[in-house]
Amino acid sequence: MAPIIELRNVYKRFGDNVIYEDMSFAVEAGETFTIIGGSGMGKSVCLKLMIGLLPYEAGHVLYRGKEVGEMDAENLRELRRNVAMVFQGGALFDSMSVFDNVTYALREHTKMSDQEMLERARECLDMVGLGYDKEILYRMPASLSGGMRKRAALARSIAIKPEVILYDEPTTGLDPANIERIGHMIRKLQKELGVTSIVVTHDMPIAWNCSNRVAMLWQRKFPYIGTPAEIQANPAPEVHEFINGIYHEDQD
Amino acid sequence: MSVRRPFEYIGEAIRGGLDWAGGISLLLGRSLIRGVQRPWGIYDVFSQIVALGIRSLPLSTLMGVFVGMALTWQFGEALMSFGAKNAVGSAAALALVRELVPTLMALTIGAKIATGVTAELGSMKVSEQIDAIASLGADPIKKLVWPRLVASTVTLPLLNIYGNVLALIGGALIADVVFDVPAEYFYETYIDELYPMDYISGLVKSFTFGLLVGLIGCYQGFQTKFGTEAVGISTTNTVVATSVAIIVFDFVLTTIFLPVG
Repeated sequence: MAPIIELRNVYKRFGDNVIYEDMSFAVEAGETFTIIGGSGMGKSVCLKLMIGLLPYEAGHVLYRGKEVGEMDAENLRELRRNVAMVFQGGALFDSMSVFDNVTYALREHTKMSDQEMLERARECLDMVGLGYDKEILYRMPASLSGGMRKRAALARSIAIKPEVILYDEPTTGLDPANIERIGHMIRKLQKELGVTSIVVTHDMPIAWNCSNRVAMLWQRKFPYIGTPAEIQANPAPEVHEFINGIYHEDQD
Repeated sequence: MSVRRPFEYIGEAIRGGLDWAGGISLLLGRSLIRGVQRPWGIYDVFSQIVALGIRSLPLSTLMGVFVGMALTWQFGEALMSFGAKNAVGSAAALALVRELVPTLMALTIGAKIATGVTAELGSMKVSEQIDAIASLGADPIKKLVWPRLVASTVTLPLLNIYGNVLALIGGALIADVVFDVPAEYFYETYIDELYPMDYISGLVKSFTFGLLVGLIGCYQGFQTKFGTEAVGISTTNTVVATSVAIIVFDFVLTTIFLPVG
């Protein structure tokens, strides 16, 4: 079966800073694919390339075989209808209530009535564990805690029922119970709805427990891709040191 | 090396200026192309007119009244020494309607609007909200730039009309109280001095300034780099760019309209 998302020989740079050099990997439909790697190496850039938020210098970024970089506005809109992204800080719209945030994509892509949107918003907020607060729909993002903002952002991304969800560090800043909740939700979306998830994370338990495959970014490409067990057993020192958090004083 | 240095600076400055002008033009082109497509986002446009225009009314009121009063006082003093204080309405009219109200309104209200837009869009850029809009399948130019551009282009001419009325009232007050020129007489001489082209030149100026203010505000907001410090830098750049653009375009439009008038 053809991969749902494929990056082939991609080159990406910001000025003189080379992020990717001949970088390739492919994600199969229905799998949870986790990207790990050092901070500032460009893991989030990878997600933004997939939905055309950033251009690339060379290579191919393909969604269902179609080149993302060559898509026109209508095709990009369709791509983003199917591939949702959860941003690192939540990126909720400050000027809108939680309800307007969660239903934003529904207004853009569907003709659902207000009542239908309300029900969908409640359903999504329930899924991310915010359903207990009956007033949350009418609250503004500024009045939410960091964890609540992140979960509301997650609710916003699943409201449109995308087939792929890109998570940019979904558990950073959350307490252990909420980290487990997010992990549970990623697994549930995969199991029940067949959603493909691509997760950028530093959270090793999430990587090991939620993923079908893990890829480690190293020296501007992904030389290490495998199942969680394969990555954990990988003898390469950079992999071993990264996943076990080994720090050498002489690296300072 | 030392000889090359100044030329490098000049070259970089010219390139930077061209990049900036090119970016602004591109943003204008994209906004016009996407803005006129359905849905028109009328609600967003009206929200912005309220946010940018209605909330600028207190400052516009102060601006209009005090500019009218100050200019009339200056002209009154000068004309009194020639025994021509009755001509104060005629003298103030052209300066206020053609030049001072549209330009000062743009420099104060316009700068307020532009910096507000830059700060808002810059914060959205830094917190990835602009990327989030795009990732949800919406068009950030249509959603964010177009409404602000239309609102500022509509708002400044309206505030200009409002400012002109208040400047006239302020001028009449000073003429009556300070120079003993009856307010009715001031009004008549003021209006008699003005031809339709004088109003049109003032409106064309404020329309152009409104477009520039909206464009620069949005462009600088979208160009914001990373971190909260970048929002401050963008906002400062906006004040400078807006002021320079208004002064330059004011001169260009004055040279176009003066021979006509």
